[in-house]
Amino acid sequence: MKKSKESIFKNKLAWAVVAELLILLVAGILEPNFFHIEYNATTGMFYGSLIDIVNRSAEITIIAMGMTMVIALGGTDISVGALVAVAGAFALKLLRWDVTMYPTPGDYTVKPFILVILVPLLICTAMGLFNGVLIGKFKLQPIIATLILMVAGRGIAQIATNGKQFTTGYTPFRFIGQGSLFGLPFPIIVTIVVCASVMIFVRKTAFGTFVESVGVNPNASRVTGLKSDKIIMIVYTLTGFLSGIAGLIYSSRISSCDSNNAGVNYEMDAILAVVLGGTSMTGGKFSLTGTIIGSLIIRTITTLVYYFGITSESIMAFKAVIILIVIVIQSEPVGKWLATRQARRQKVGELRG
Amino acid sequence: MKKFLTLALALVLVIGCVANASALTIGFSQVGQESDWRTANTDSLKAMAEKEGWTMVYDDAQQKQENQVKALRNFITQGVDYILFTGVVTTGWDEVLKEVNEAEIPLLLIDRMPDCMDSIDYVGAFGGDFIEEGRRMARWTVNYFNTTEDVNVVILEGTTGAAAATDRTTGINEILAAHPNFKVIASQTGNFTRAEGQAVMESFLKAHDKIDVLLAENDDMALGAIDAIKAAGKVPGKDIIIVGCDSVKAAFDAIVAGDMNATIECNPLYGDAVAELIKKLEAGEPGTRELLHPAEGVFCAEGGIAYDEAGELLSVKAADVIAERKY
Repeated sequence: MKKSKESIFKNKLAWAVVAELLILLVAGILEPNFFHIEYNATTGMFYGSLIDIVNRSAEITIIAMGMTMVIALGGTDISVGALVAVAGAFALKLLRWDVTMYPTPGDYTVKPFILVILVPLLICTAMGLFNGVLIGKFKLQPIIATLILMVAGRGIAQIATNGKQFTTGYTPFRFIGQGSLFGLPFPIIVTIVVCASVMIFVRKTAFGTFVESVGVNPNASRVTGLKSDKIIMIVYTLTGFLSGIAGLIYSSRISSCDSNNAGVNYEMDAILAVVLGGTSMTGGKFSLTGTIIGSLIIRTITTLVYYFGITSESIMAFKAVIILIVIVIQSEPVGKWLATRQARRQKVGELRG
Repeated sequence: MKKFLTLALALVLVIGCVANASALTIGFSQVGQESDWRTANTDSLKAMAEKEGWTMVYDDAQQKQENQVKALRNFITQGVDYILFTGVVTTGWDEVLKEVNEAEIPLLLIDRMPDCMDSIDYVGAFGGDFIEEGRRMARWTVNYFNTTEDVNVVILEGTTGAAAATDRTTGINEILAAHPNFKVIASQTGNFTRAEGQAVMESFLKAHDKIDVLLAENDDMALGAIDAIKAAGKVPGKDIIIVGCDSVKAAFDAIVAGDMNATIECNPLYGDAVAELIKKLEAGEPGTRELLHPAEGVFCAEGGIAYDEAGELLSVKAADVIAERKY
């Protein structure tokens, strides 16, 4: 009994949940309408700010699934944002315009739709593998290795589209980011499927334990017979693939590719989601559930800023303050301090009792 | 061999100079490729040189200031007749532009003005009039509604701190202040991107029940917002009037499709205006320190709505000119 109470203060995942609930609570007190959700018959979707939060957090949540394991390995992947741009650029390059809807003159070819999905995902997976090989086989520092694609990725995206921004009206493609299934925006469904698959793969096999082991001590793991370079390669390749999915969602939402702006700062948001979720940057133990909460916290803050009309100039400062509070509360010294205070109170209570 | 080459090169140069005795050589230092707008800007100035029979030495700086500094010094060494210059950033040009002044090469500033422009010599400066663009957005809206009833306005601002964003906001508020029935109920940055324009509009729609008009400080944010409005079960262009800025091709497509109502032009085609000034300078007329603006229009679904102070300039029907648009 005593033990479980102590662990709540040291449990970062619990703190993340508390932080998210507190932010929502404040929002709800200021504006009860914030929680209003209704079914919109015209679009066939549930409609409300809470739905928006989950919907708009999809890209970061999906990328952060991979990023969690990257960080658990003691690494970082700063190329994910650029890969989002790459996926969008190649999808739109293959798609261009729907000639039947927009009879604009010019060289517009509509490739089989399956290629529009598969090619960008394959390219991003290959780029993830490239990162993995540099880090796993050539032992490059992750931040340096992924810096290459962070810079080159946007260049590749620009070249693929000749520096132009294509727009599409093709309904099947727009469905990925704007469609709905079971009354929910489709990106939410994609996120659920991706998170469930990653969690099953990681926790129902020994893979998660391998990742943690390599993260704590790669040399010791190798000596015990773990092929750490292979595990590193799989994790970075997976992250590349997931960035590709996020890229498709992003470009589908805006029905276009935007090589300059797509996925800008996503690497930072994804890392932040992982850290808010309680996974340590030093590697080792990781929590995928925590990461999902972390991603939701980031999006909740952004949505609040828009909803309550906080002025454009103060957005950055506002976000920074909230994140600072959450991270400080989660930090080890504060957790310990709260735990000892709790223990002391309990002792006093016992003595009195 | 080296001597022969030098000789041959010198000969070519001499012949070249004789042949082009009357033709001008113009050095153009451009920031690089970044958008369709920029490409149209570059093409327009290149086409100008070709049309006038001038030689253009074009340098693409690939978004790097050091490349531009190098290019400007090369222009000085080559002894070009005019230098056209768009700086990738606003600061750090003092030294190299002073060198241009010392070499007495007439300098024309294009689009982005360096911070040091007050302390250097230049013969002409061409840029967009962002405040006027903002005013036009608001004037078009006021004239389109032509009502004394309350109209709820939301604004999608550009990147905080960017001149195009602050000036357009200033222009919009200046006009709307004179029409108190137009109430700005929300104003937020969408960072000039489609994705953020969409996310911000999505929240506006939830926080406010009645939104009549959206003023987006560029077309991309307007295009993003259209999808957010559709997702809310409303009809963009009808339930909510949408006004954008820049006049990119995609905005024309949206206007013709009925999803958007108007776009205010921010013209990148400086070629004609620059050519006119250079010809004047060649004829011995003095340069100007005033910021010159290229001709800009307003395009909307039906056309015929006034957007200037006097009510004389009327908007053009987008469908009529869509085929001629270059960017």
